[in-house]
Amino acid sequence: MVPVLVMLVGGISASTNLFAHLWQTVLPTYLGNTLKLAFLVVLLSLIFGVISAAIISQTNIAFKKYLRWLLLLPLAMPAYLVAYLYTDLFDYAGPVQRSLRAWFGWQSPADYWFFDIRTLPGAALMLALVLFPYIYMLTRGAFEQQDQSLNRASRLLGLTARQTFFKVSLPLARPAIAVAASLVLMETLADFATVQYFAVNTLTTAIYDTWLGYGDLGAANALASVLMLLVLFVVVAEQKSRAGLRHQSSRPNLEQALIQLSFSQQLLAGTFCWSLVILGFILPLSLLIAMAVEYSDVNQLTILLSTGLNSLKISVVAATVAVIIALSLGFYQRLHGDKYKQLPLQISGFGYAIPGTVLAMAMLSTLGPLDHWLNDGVVMLGFSPPGLILSGSLFAIIFALVVRFAAIANGTIVSGIKQIPHSLDYAPASLGVSFSRSLFKVHLPILSPAILVAWLLVFVEAMKELPAVLLLRPFNFETLSSQIYQLISDEMLEQGALGAILIVVFGLLPIVLLNQSKEKV
Amino acid sequence: MTSLLNIQQLSITLQGKVILSKLELSLKQGEILGLVGASGCGKTTLLNAIAGFNQLSGGKILLDGNVLNDGIFSLPAEQRQVGMIFQDYALFPHLTVKENIAFGIAKLTKTEQSERISKLLNILKLSEYRDSYIHQLSGGQQQRVAIARALAPQPKLLLLDEPFSNIDARLRNELMVEIRQLLKQFNTTAIFVTHNKDEVFTFADKMAVMAQGQLLQLDAPNVICQQPNSYQVADFLQLGSWLPCEIDKAGANSLLGKLNVTLTAANELAGLTYLLVKPQYLKLMSTFDENTDTTTNAQVEYISMTEQGYHYHLKSLDSKANDNKLSFSKLSLYSDVALQMNQQVCVEVIPHDFLFFSSKPA
Repeated sequence: MVPVLVMLVGGISASTNLFAHLWQTVLPTYLGNTLKLAFLVVLLSLIFGVISAAIISQTNIAFKKYLRWLLLLPLAMPAYLVAYLYTDLFDYAGPVQRSLRAWFGWQSPADYWFFDIRTLPGAALMLALVLFPYIYMLTRGAFEQQDQSLNRASRLLGLTARQTFFKVSLPLARPAIAVAASLVLMETLADFATVQYFAVNTLTTAIYDTWLGYGDLGAANALASVLMLLVLFVVVAEQKSRAGLRHQSSRPNLEQALIQLSFSQQLLAGTFCWSLVILGFILPLSLLIAMAVEYSDVNQLTILLSTGLNSLKISVVAATVAVIIALSLGFYQRLHGDKYKQLPLQISGFGYAIPGTVLAMAMLSTLGPLDHWLNDGVVMLGFSPPGLILSGSLFAIIFALVVRFAAIANGTIVSGIKQIPHSLDYAPASLGVSFSRSLFKVHLPILSPAILVAWLLVFVEAMKELPAVLLLRPFNFETLSSQIYQLISDEMLEQGALGAILIVVFGLLPIVLLNQSKEKV
Repeated sequence: MTSLLNIQQLSITLQGKVILSKLELSLKQGEILGLVGASGCGKTTLLNAIAGFNQLSGGKILLDGNVLNDGIFSLPAEQRQVGMIFQDYALFPHLTVKENIAFGIAKLTKTEQSERISKLLNILKLSEYRDSYIHQLSGGQQQRVAIARALAPQPKLLLLDEPFSNIDARLRNELMVEIRQLLKQFNTTAIFVTHNKDEVFTFADKMAVMAQGQLLQLDAPNVICQQPNSYQVADFLQLGSWLPCEIDKAGANSLLGKLNVTLTAANELAGLTYLLVKPQYLKLMSTFDENTDTTTNAQVEYISMTEQGYHYHLKSLDSKANDNKLSFSKLSLYSDVALQMNQQVCVEVIPHDFLFFSSKPA
């Protein structure tokens, strides 16, 4: 948290002149693009997510059993990968336009119109294709958690199944939809690689360019602060919506489909859902696999191995640290009944909302000066300067990753701790065992599944994280994601296809994990 | 008067399990039926079938002469004009009291709607809460909103699924009387499900006892209690305790002595049967006293206190235990006399119109 405050202060204090300058030049465009993008992504994700959730939970669509979880898979696809793959596919030189030209005998772009994917709406579509599962997942959950007697009451009061859906189910799902939409919004604001690749200038790309391109820390801080304020709005909105999430029931609405679809409706709904699955996951993955099969060689494998090891290193450390912090916070909350007990958890929960770029800027502006002081201090003591031991090392990356993903570990572990009955805190004492001993003998063993899940979730997110790594990595240090980003920028993803598949596979892990734990309940 | 609700040969099988089999039931306009039965006997399934939430595997349901369901055709729930009050009320949390009540009468004009809502709010003493949300109301108030919502479309039949189980005991009776008056006022036909027979006495005109997917008996509550038609009905309603008897031409032999029965009864019920001993028909004659050497025929097995005095469970004397065919236990005796555990006593069954049952379902 402290680094973010330092950055905000730095951003505001550096601003007066600079800010005016930015405002007169690029900021309006960047801000405008960011807002436009956010609006479009949320709109598209809502269309994709709410409709698919409604189809799956309220109708008798064919292959429902499979579509239920297939619709979650796009979440595993990093948006920048999808962006690259579709550009490859639909570009002027791509196979689709080539074959169209061949078929119709067109000679040049002047002969026909074809949509240009590398635009702001294109980027929005790419992001929505992989982010809509958030909305699908939470909305479907909301529909299914609704008390079935509410639906029945509505039917008996004379409303058809369809009317019931619009007058009861949908309004009741509003808070869940709002929460999901704000998650999508946060992810969109944090996105860097997709917009960068599509050359759409948003706040995140601007931050990156200002710092790495012009080395202007003050300006980058100012931009990051603006982005941070946007995120703050979303967080507040999200918290408010969560307060509305209480219409849930112990009798989930899992009986047979309520709305019977006619054949043509069946076809329409099926096409809609399957398109989402195919466009968001199956097609990109197939393209990647095709690339990997065609272009893989030994040289690539060695690079993959070294970058993979780097990724593994930082992710393992980040996940472990995050879990240890979550455990201590969780037990602190359990032990101390005062009214501030929620505070540390809530503050650290905020970390997830901070875009990686903003977080990286915050780290740089805090750890940089700290390094200078440290160096000065060490030199004053008569030793040679140790260099940028904080900001220029893995410490910064890991610190940033922990801050960003602490919320995931906290959420999982706190809910795990909550499930341990309080009587288990007291039982060991009544048997003459101290609390610290019972922590290791009772609580941790009970918690071990939650700990494992938390660790894996943070591990996977850390593997996938790009912007923070990109800005904070030491010179010549490549991770899986940063390398793939480089290759994408150089239009050479073919050489990293294997690594990209690996990232997707890692991305599937939490989905499978979460899906399993949900189905069990 | 012809019946409003008519259920013929109703059978329902869910997931390969027979829930209802060939159930028959009819109900007149304005009657309130209390449906009792152990959990899992099919009460809720029957309500769901009438409401249109379950597929039938056989039989027919008619309401006011219209077929609701005949195994092939099934009228959608929303067209049945059947109202339901759910156990947890199922009020819409996103709507106000007024909007909840208006939910089912959207087809009426605005003025008709507000007239009807105001009338219901008045009768149910909810007028000051018309713009409140559901979570701002107490349990009893929520119950009343549920009733108002269900009555607003003026359903032909109202179903109540354990409507009083969430209300605390002190308020329950008051509320039941209130709602009964209301239903009578609207001349509403209703079926309500409960597992508490006392609620039936307070609330219903008729009582139906269900077990294993069938109606065992359907009649006025006091008739059923006086003349239960089977061992199961009497046992489920806990009308009394059981004394094994062996009947022959001379009468009924039991470990409490010989009981005089009519010759026809003796012919019908020859062999081992069970006498239903209602509390008022078992009397304590004397207690064991070493000095007088009284004859005894039972001993105290269990003692509990009630507001009216002591409640004892008696069992047959240990010395008679070898005659196990007629030995008894848990025979209820209510008395003001304080007895000790295992104390031997002499009790007598006061002659009355004896009710014998063979224990197996007929």
